[in-house]
Amino acid sequence: MTRIGVYVCHCGLNIAGVVDVENVANYALTLPNVAVARHYTYMCSEPGQSMIQDDIKTQKLDRIVIATCSPRMHEETFRKAVSEAGLNPYLVEIVNLREQVSWPHSEEPKKATEKAKALVRMGVARVKLLEPLERQTVSVEKNVLVVGGGIAGIQASLDLANAGFKVYLVEKAPSIGGRMAQLDKTFPTLDCSACILTPKMVDAGKHQNITLLTNSEVTHVKGFVGNYEVTVLKNPRFVDEARCVGCELCTQSCPVKIPDKFNENLSQTRAISIFSPHAVPKVATIRPEYCLRLKTKNKTVCGKCVQACETKAINFGQEPEVIQLKVGGVVLALGSEVFDASRMFEFGYGRFPNVISNIEFERISDASGPTGGKILNPKSRKPPNSIIFVQCVGSRDKRFHEYCCRVGCMISLKQAILAREKLGKDVDIYVCYNDLRAFGKGYEEFYRRARDMGINFMAGIPSDIRSTPDGSLYFEVFESGTNKLLELHADLVVLANGLVPSEGIGKMKELFHVLKSRDGFLLEAHPKLRPLECSTAGIFLAGACQGPKDIPDTVAQASGAAAKIIDLLSRGAIELEPLKAAVDKDLCSGCRVCEALCPFTAIEMKRKEKAGKEELRVEVIEALCQGCGLCSAACPTGAIKIEQYGNKQVLAQVDAAFAGAAHKGGSHR
Amino acid sequence: MSLTDLMSMAKPNLESRGKILAKIHGRELLNCFLCIRCTSGCTALKLLELKPHEIEKLVNLGFVDELVSSDIIWTCATCLKCFQRCPQKASPYHVIIALRNLAVEREAKVPEAYMKAVSQILEGGLAEQVQKVTNNKMETCDRESLKLFKIKPPKEGFQTVFLKALEEK
Repeated sequence: MTRIGVYVCHCGLNIAGVVDVENVANYALTLPNVAVARHYTYMCSEPGQSMIQDDIKTQKLDRIVIATCSPRMHEETFRKAVSEAGLNPYLVEIVNLREQVSWPHSEEPKKATEKAKALVRMGVARVKLLEPLERQTVSVEKNVLVVGGGIAGIQASLDLANAGFKVYLVEKAPSIGGRMAQLDKTFPTLDCSACILTPKMVDAGKHQNITLLTNSEVTHVKGFVGNYEVTVLKNPRFVDEARCVGCELCTQSCPVKIPDKFNENLSQTRAISIFSPHAVPKVATIRPEYCLRLKTKNKTVCGKCVQACETKAINFGQEPEVIQLKVGGVVLALGSEVFDASRMFEFGYGRFPNVISNIEFERISDASGPTGGKILNPKSRKPPNSIIFVQCVGSRDKRFHEYCCRVGCMISLKQAILAREKLGKDVDIYVCYNDLRAFGKGYEEFYRRARDMGINFMAGIPSDIRSTPDGSLYFEVFESGTNKLLELHADLVVLANGLVPSEGIGKMKELFHVLKSRDGFLLEAHPKLRPLECSTAGIFLAGACQGPKDIPDTVAQASGAAAKIIDLLSRGAIELEPLKAAVDKDLCSGCRVCEALCPFTAIEMKRKEKAGKEELRVEVIEALCQGCGLCSAACPTGAIKIEQYGNKQVLAQVDAAFAGAAHKGGSHR
Repeated sequence: MSLTDLMSMAKPNLESRGKILAKIHGRELLNCFLCIRCTSGCTALKLLELKPHEIEKLVNLGFVDELVSSDIIWTCATCLKCFQRCPQKASPYHVIIALRNLAVEREAKVPEAYMKAVSQILEGGLAEQVQKVTNNKMETCDRESLKLFKIKPPKEGFQTVFLKALEEK
């Protein structure tokens, strides 16, 4: 005879403030098979858990119903607690009295209590039919794939490599370094970005446990947590990496001038060039879309670089290389892109050459940039007499991106300080802001420092920016601090462009079966409790691909993701959640509906011989299945079901839901 | 200067701003970030529309001339609440006093009450005349009947010293 224990949690006043918990517990005692029913302030606390454990032992309970918060919160906690008391952890049913009762129905406590009773009744009906399940163990690969070679990818790779894992770091650009490599100084300490990044880039390039795959992209992903099979396409550089010494003789000889992407197209480079001054690996790359010989496919054209190269590193016949990797876990560190301000016509970006983006300002201010670190007006090539920073460009704007970019304010503060330091105290510097958000460690002090340096902060954003015939810029702004309409003139306007999801994020989302949040960035499994991982097991997130982030947060998240992977893979084997799809092979008709639906590619069609005929039958790859239930809902013959959520259990719940309504004769409503 | 007030077509006066900065010994007392706590608690706001945060910001941007010639700087009751409660240790009070000094320097119109107070001091050495009070028995008392010490007229030569001090400022 089944003996059920029902435990009603107060959750402080979160539940008990609305639901009459004592009433619910007393009601539970009247339900069939319920041997014990109790209520307690915090069921998840140590005394709460041991209350359940004691009852399992003394009252010989074999099923447990816990009426508390969402199972996403504490199901794992309670499973662990009951298994410590000797009960199979899958014989616990969580009834959600907080997110589904007390919070949404806080205005109607009586009805809420009735709903709580109904949910407990359904939980009791269901828990009786649960079956004990065992967790399956699979072995894992101790290699890790890191996608993206910015500071997030570099930090995660170094942490993993130092912990003894073999890391494959895939970067689509010819060099690692990412966005941080383009920055001049970093807030709030004004460390030079190259000085703190370059050593890490070099470490990553030299580390014996890290394989750098630059100029490469991930094209296929198969498998499941612990056992991913990844295909990487290494695009040809047309330069032999082993031979190139990075002398740049080829660049000097190349006749084709092209815009320099690393310098935000503010200067020119050549069709054969090294990606950036601090590139790792420091190897030249030929851009096939510009190179005269590769464009014309004529072996007699040009060839100046071949003559210039002393190490004979140039190889026009280089082919794309396909690399197969087996990895246990993946860190996605895809980064972000800078908002394209030409979409905001009113600010004149793209129309006026002296309206620039903040990333362009970084290149202009950087000693290795197009102006050698001198802040110059891009049009007149003279140092500006007045600079205006305009905040919240493309962010906090429902027309473009609703979220706060989290770095724009601090970047503008930093750039204003750099401009003050480089151009002296006679230059007028204004920051037009909306709310100035300086929230991190040392950030508020940095804001004060900017004010102390005579940088003027204008509480108000202009409606549009206009240009005078001589090319200088002016606009009006209503300054709410002085309550005045002010007119500002400037030689240079720097827009605080926000961060936006990178273009390739959609493709990566498809490849790795991860989800996007509403803002277009990748979605974490839980915004507070599981911020480093995706809902797909074995895939972790680092840096700005999860949401806009500054460098300190990015590095922290990257190290966190690396630690999560070490935790996942260090034992060499992992336990899999047993709530999976299971197939009744006699019922399966081989219609393949489930195969097309499964978002985790966990369904495989197998050919079977039966009575001389060949038949298609479904097989579930248990390690891949996440138990989402799509297949089960779609199966026309009912052959596929999720463990613990079959017809048996669900229909019992439905019956219990209507058990209370029956005696009202359906007159209600 | 790349800034214009489109309401009065005024330009920032950096020289005067520099004078004020010298008087308040640097930028710290101007380090406003617009929490507007000073104006929320200003004693003179309700009757006289003094907005200390606006004064802070206007001086910060260099719009000094309009303030110096306006009556508003003379409405401050010098309660010093703004100074005490400013989260950034800025002080509209000190800025207002510096503006008043500048106004006197420029011989701008100073409200009559202030001129009266000055002549009062010049005559009797005190900002207020010695007055009589009425007690709860409705008797009018002077200092003598309250057994308070007698206030002596200022020493000889006080007026010369006072006038000289005013000129030096």
